[in-house]
Amino acid sequence: MEYVLKVNNVEKTYGKGTNTFEALKNITFSIEPGEFVGVMGPSGAGKSTLLNVLATIDSPTSGDIFIEADNIAKMKEDKLADFRRDHLGFIFQDYNLLDSLTVRENILLPLAIAKMPAKEINEKVISIAKTFGIEDLLDKYPYQLSGGQKQRTASSRALVTKPKLLFADEPTGALDSKSATEFLENLRSLNIEQEATIMMVTHDAYAASFCRRILFIKDGQLSKEMVRGNRTRKEFFQLILDELANLGGDEHDNV
Amino acid sequence: MTMFDLALKNIKRNLKHYALYIGATVFSIIIYFTFATLKYSDNLSGLAETSRQIRGIMSGSAFVLMIFVAIFILYSNTFFMKKRKKEVGLYSLLGVRKKKIGYLLFFENMMIGIISLIIGIGLGFFLSQLFLAILLKLMGIQMELGFTFSSQAVIETSIVFFAIFLVTSLLGYRVIYKFKLIDLFQAANKGEEKPKSRLIIALAGLLSLILAYWMALQDLMTSDVWHHLGLATPLLIIGLTIIGSFLLFNSVLVYVLTKLKKREGWAWKGLNVMTVSQLLYRIRGNAKTLTIITILSATTITAGGAVFGMYYNTDKTVQSFAPFSFMWQGSQHEISDESVEVAIDFEVKNIRVSSEEMDREYNIINQSTFEQLAQALDWDNIESINNKQEEALLIDPFYDERWSEKTEEVLVDGNPYQISKMYTTSIVNIEVLSGSMLVLSDEQFEALDHKAIDYHVIQLDNYKKHADLSEQLASSLGTENFSSAIRDYQESLKSSGTLLFVGSFLGLVFLLATGSIIFFKMMTEAEEDKSKYGILYKIGVSKREMKQTIRYQMGFVFVAPLILGLMHGAVALIAFSNLLQMNLWKPILWWMLAYTLIYIIYYFITVRGFYQTTMQEEN
Repeated sequence: MEYVLKVNNVEKTYGKGTNTFEALKNITFSIEPGEFVGVMGPSGAGKSTLLNVLATIDSPTSGDIFIEADNIAKMKEDKLADFRRDHLGFIFQDYNLLDSLTVRENILLPLAIAKMPAKEINEKVISIAKTFGIEDLLDKYPYQLSGGQKQRTASSRALVTKPKLLFADEPTGALDSKSATEFLENLRSLNIEQEATIMMVTHDAYAASFCRRILFIKDGQLSKEMVRGNRTRKEFFQLILDELANLGGDEHDNV
Repeated sequence: MTMFDLALKNIKRNLKHYALYIGATVFSIIIYFTFATLKYSDNLSGLAETSRQIRGIMSGSAFVLMIFVAIFILYSNTFFMKKRKKEVGLYSLLGVRKKKIGYLLFFENMMIGIISLIIGIGLGFFLSQLFLAILLKLMGIQMELGFTFSSQAVIETSIVFFAIFLVTSLLGYRVIYKFKLIDLFQAANKGEEKPKSRLIIALAGLLSLILAYWMALQDLMTSDVWHHLGLATPLLIIGLTIIGSFLLFNSVLVYVLTKLKKREGWAWKGLNVMTVSQLLYRIRGNAKTLTIITILSATTITAGGAVFGMYYNTDKTVQSFAPFSFMWQGSQHEISDESVEVAIDFEVKNIRVSSEEMDREYNIINQSTFEQLAQALDWDNIESINNKQEEALLIDPFYDERWSEKTEEVLVDGNPYQISKMYTTSIVNIEVLSGSMLVLSDEQFEALDHKAIDYHVIQLDNYKKHADLSEQLASSLGTENFSSAIRDYQESLKSSGTLLFVGSFLGLVFLLATGSIIFFKMMTEAEEDKSKYGILYKIGVSKREMKQTIRYQMGFVFVAPLILGLMHGAVALIAFSNLLQMNLWKPILWWMLAYTLIYIIYYFITVRGFYQTTMQEEN
């Protein structure tokens, strides 16, 4: 089977000696090209740990992680940085924009690091900015933007390199519901039209209902998988809420 | 638990955080105590009887040091308090009353002060012995040192620092009242305006610097500026320099950085865009720090260069007024020492020439004596008299083209002599035979009807080694008409050695302070920038690249004030050497080189510190 991401028996243990904590236990799954996968679970279940490990920001205690043919679990520090730059994109809850750079500069940073010629950089930045509808904001500084605009800037930065895989960590966590919906629509159209492969961690059932497949995680283990199939988003949303109620945790979240 | 217990516990727990602050205070105390000990030292007061100026220099310097130390401690205290804002905020959030937090900070600060005082005086005691030994060596005095413990120094240091700590503690107490809880939750530097470069500001800065330089290079005696402004001139120069530096940093740097940012081909390569933007983002705050660093550097370079230059030139100064190792008037005195290279006995006739304005005295020697003396001193432009009836040579060591009148002709006993060449360096020891010297041909000299006085000069291979010989001669000849280069040398070392010591001591303090101020400033920024480097890491920037941008950013902050500081220092030192009519280029360049080297070491330490602070989270 073809895959973008393949995770094999990944474990992550914190601490030493008797005082250890297993954050991830025996995680195995894979993501195919063009998928939009959500990862859900209650607080402390290991969602963020999993994302960090997959995103090469943290390293697993054992197990293999393949992104296409590369085993990132066995990669060295400097190579990892290059790999992140060339193949992965990130979106975070708090946007993580550099406040001393303009929107344009924030977006072009990954390309500049990859030593792309300035002309090519300019074209790519403008094209991605159009996709997210922020081409008028390119010369503004982050403090002049609203939350939604910031998140779209962050997404532009994450996607400007055309990454193999886009990681999103609670991307709608700090947005109001209108901005969040717009943003999620953006992600979905990217996923459908440009076949971007996306993995999104969220505890919000509404955000998760935009995904095509959802992995539930509890106590560091994968507990359930859910596929949207031919259901409408609303049906899928209801299904997710029911499942969350079963798992216990975020059942009070609403639309 | 009492407030005192809480304060004590606080220090114990956070020792690591406190280390930098305590280090800075202990350092200041050591420096001050060492200086105070030297000031009150018995060894030194013994000397002070002979050379009184030492006392004056020491007291004046102690005052400068005191002001400086106070500023330095205030600066590090501010840095320290900034770091602890979160902690204070947390207490406040938990409902501790402001008054109580204020007490806590006050007690804590006083406690740190007292602990530092004890450590500082203890360490300062040993260091002062070392410094005293160095000082005496530089002054060229051999003396056995007993361990001196000056209670006066302890009292003075304690009083000064107690006052300083009281002030900082009160300021700490005040901080809590100015503090707003909202600050804790708001990110720093939200929405700072992008700085704009204005040509007019750049021009104003440039103009005030040029004006300051021009004023500094005016001649003290002849210029109108000094005439009209008098003693306000140096203050005006310093003021203009400070303002000029600040305006330049504020405008020119902004201009350069903005231009760089716009050059996409360069800026959009690697982290260049980040480097430039970060610098631009901080330029407002940095302009102030850069100016302080520039002024400190310039002060250190100027003071150190001047003092070192004078010390370095002691030898030359001595040589200029005592070119021979020994010289005396009167009877011959045989010296049977193998170190004697040249011994010349010669006759001098003294005449008085009256003119309308004033009488002038001339010492006359003949051509052969002149040649002998000049050869012994390795002069390379020995002129001979061609027309023996009408020509003469003139040696005038006090000639100064700025105000002396050039002598063309001298009347000796009614006969006019044309001056065919004039020398401005002394050919004998001025102490014994001062005034202008006229060289006549042997025949003309012989014909002069004046009383001839016998003089004797001796040149040794290395005059500095023969202090004992000098004393022997002095006692047998009597000191009145005897000149000894080594004696002069020792005398001038005594004063310039003290100057050198005080100068380098203060220089060292300024140097360390400059370094610490940059370091504190950069560490504060590192703390703020932590998250930015976290983002870069996630985007996929390698550590090597991050290190590089840090190196560039720091490099900019370090190099800009260094260049300007060196320029200020160079101008000040040119003015200084013009004033003293000394050629100080060599020692000044050495001093600048030494300063730059130490400065570079600071750079590396700061880059390392910055890198470690920003990378903490990832490792």
